[in-house]
Amino acid sequence: MQVSKRIVAVLIAMLLIVSLAGCGNSGASSDGKVNLTFQIWDVAQKEGMEAICAAYTEKNPNVTIEVQVTSWNEYWTKLEAAATSGKMPDIFWMHTNELLKYADNGMLADCTDIIEADKFSEISLSNVSGSDGTYYGVPKDKDTVGLVYNKEMFDAAGVAYPTEDWTWDDLVSASEKIYEATGKYGYMAYADDQLGYWNFVYQAGGYILNEDKTQAGFTQPATMEAMKFYIGLQSNDWCPDQNYFAETAPGTAFFSEKGAMFLEGNWNILPELQNYPDMVGKWDVAVLPKCPNPASGDGRATISNGLCYATGAKNPNLEVVKDVLKFFGSEEGQRIQGESGAAIPAYQGLEETWVSCFEEYPVNVQCFIDMFDYSIQSVNNASRPEWKSKVSDELLKIYSGQVDLETGLANMQTIVDEASAS
Amino acid sequence: MHKKSKLARSGSVWGMSMVAPTIIGLLILNIIPFFQTIYMSFSQSKAFGAYEFCGLDNYIEMFQTPEFWKATWNSVYFCILTVPIGVFLSLIVAVLLNAKIKGKTVFRAIYFLPMVVAPAAVAMVWKWIFNTEYGIINTLLGMNVRWLTDSNVVLVTCSVVAIWSAIGYDAVLLLAGIQNISKSLYEAADLDGASKIKQFFHITLPMVSPTLFVVLIMRLMASLKVYDLIYMMVDQNNPALTSAQSLMYLFYRESFIAGNKGYASAIVIWTVLLIGIVTIVQFIGQKKWVNYEV
Repeated sequence: MQVSKRIVAVLIAMLLIVSLAGCGNSGASSDGKVNLTFQIWDVAQKEGMEAICAAYTEKNPNVTIEVQVTSWNEYWTKLEAAATSGKMPDIFWMHTNELLKYADNGMLADCTDIIEADKFSEISLSNVSGSDGTYYGVPKDKDTVGLVYNKEMFDAAGVAYPTEDWTWDDLVSASEKIYEATGKYGYMAYADDQLGYWNFVYQAGGYILNEDKTQAGFTQPATMEAMKFYIGLQSNDWCPDQNYFAETAPGTAFFSEKGAMFLEGNWNILPELQNYPDMVGKWDVAVLPKCPNPASGDGRATISNGLCYATGAKNPNLEVVKDVLKFFGSEEGQRIQGESGAAIPAYQGLEETWVSCFEEYPVNVQCFIDMFDYSIQSVNNASRPEWKSKVSDELLKIYSGQVDLETGLANMQTIVDEASAS
Repeated sequence: MHKKSKLARSGSVWGMSMVAPTIIGLLILNIIPFFQTIYMSFSQSKAFGAYEFCGLDNYIEMFQTPEFWKATWNSVYFCILTVPIGVFLSLIVAVLLNAKIKGKTVFRAIYFLPMVVAPAAVAMVWKWIFNTEYGIINTLLGMNVRWLTDSNVVLVTCSVVAIWSAIGYDAVLLLAGIQNISKSLYEAADLDGASKIKQFFHITLPMVSPTLFVVLIMRLMASLKVYDLIYMMVDQNNPALTSAQSLMYLFYRESFIAGNKGYASAIVIWTVLLIGIVTIVQFIGQKKWVNYEV
């Protein structure tokens, strides 16, 4: 009895030790094999990412790459915990919202030597730059925001489809006519930055952050005009109010045929075509309407963001990982990404690979590419995580009438300025 | 020196090694983090786990923020809305489930079901039910109540869901308490001609009061700490957000979205104090109504 107990205890202890050892970092094993992890947040792009990895591992059979998907909501909590404990995934997507925080704290590896800098646009490169100007990631993709509209509702109201020449006035008058003729909502303007007011602010010649990103522009006259226009849209009968959007996302409303127009990023177009097969053919996309009387510029703008591939500065297999990243940023790697329909490659000249994925669908996705000519880099500075939710709370207060527009914008200005100063 | 027998010594070694996994788990997962949180609440947090001691700054800032007081009130208000009604309803359900009715076990299972369903799924379904434009409640009633976006209504809506999800669990606990009551008490009362209502107030209620007390304490703590339900029911783009935001919701937004972990820790410590005070008051109050005599 005694003996058997001891044996059991020893066995349990061994089991514990073995399982603890199993928790240790994978990576290079003794036989020269390198196992890498690759963390992303968009399940729709998993296959595209796996295709790129497969192309690399075919040429480098000693490397295996496992693509892991963590949903957007948990991604940043998880990555920060991983960074704190020094156990970051070998390769991961980086978003401009967070890049500066990681880069400026020395968490990301310098990728300057593996980027073909002349192949990427200025915006793509500034999206991967830390505050010191060094490139801390390999540009992955770029995106723009377009106007999605329901063709049937336009036909029913006898309104011509949106064109290149559309201005804010056309947007309003088309919405009015559609609401009168069909009872459906027109343009659905809701509390959102990248897919909402940012576009309007830059079209009007205003700005959210100044050029050196130290000060906000919420109290600039042009910004205020645009915000007044955008927030004021909800006071029309043809636009639902913010209470409605708190319960029903504009995309849901659009694809349930409750409203005629909303702003959408190009990254959502393919999933929406696939998820709403009954709606295919009933809708299309157009470039954003321009501001009719901008304070400066020609009234055109669309917010363009871009993701990048990055790796930790202290990665034990940095040599191998950087070679993988170099491939991800090469023409071949970017072409595979585009052809999979995952996203528009950041690599210049490969935009058409993404467009060609839509051949079977009657959607004019070319307009997303055309808008790169006047696209604006997505607003960002190192303290964005700190002010993002506070600014959005303030915006909600304006929508619900708790503060008036001028006070709300002044508060936003203070919030961003104070966060950026510290 | 008193020498322990060999048997007793080996027994205590075995005893310690058997409870070790739990003790180690508690130490690593609960006790050490608790003290770390206290330390963090006096520190300014920098990115990636770096801290800098800053004295009482977080607390001073916290007590000056109206948003924080609003969240405190929201948590307390949520308790007032859910605890008395929830516990009362659970007690009634427990008594009914104890009665001699057909299909008793089926009813017990039905009442317990919400406990087994994931909170996220619960919130999802209730959100559809409460939707202002397309929800079944407004459609049936022909009303246009903004259940989830009206700042005066939103916490009431959340309370309904909270009570609904907790009734089954509390009722099962109370049912166990009720079933421990000796049948002879009821038989004696029947002989003396006491009505069922009288029996409830003079036998069931006093005899189940220890269980009721436990349920009350647990429910109060859970309500003060409410987070997941409100997080799921009230999106970040909801204009009624500040009217629904509980202390733990505020904590989540400060620590994980804004990255302000020091300040967030101060909120946690405040919540712990709040729960502590409420629990102490309850333990003092229990002497008046909890009956430990069998």
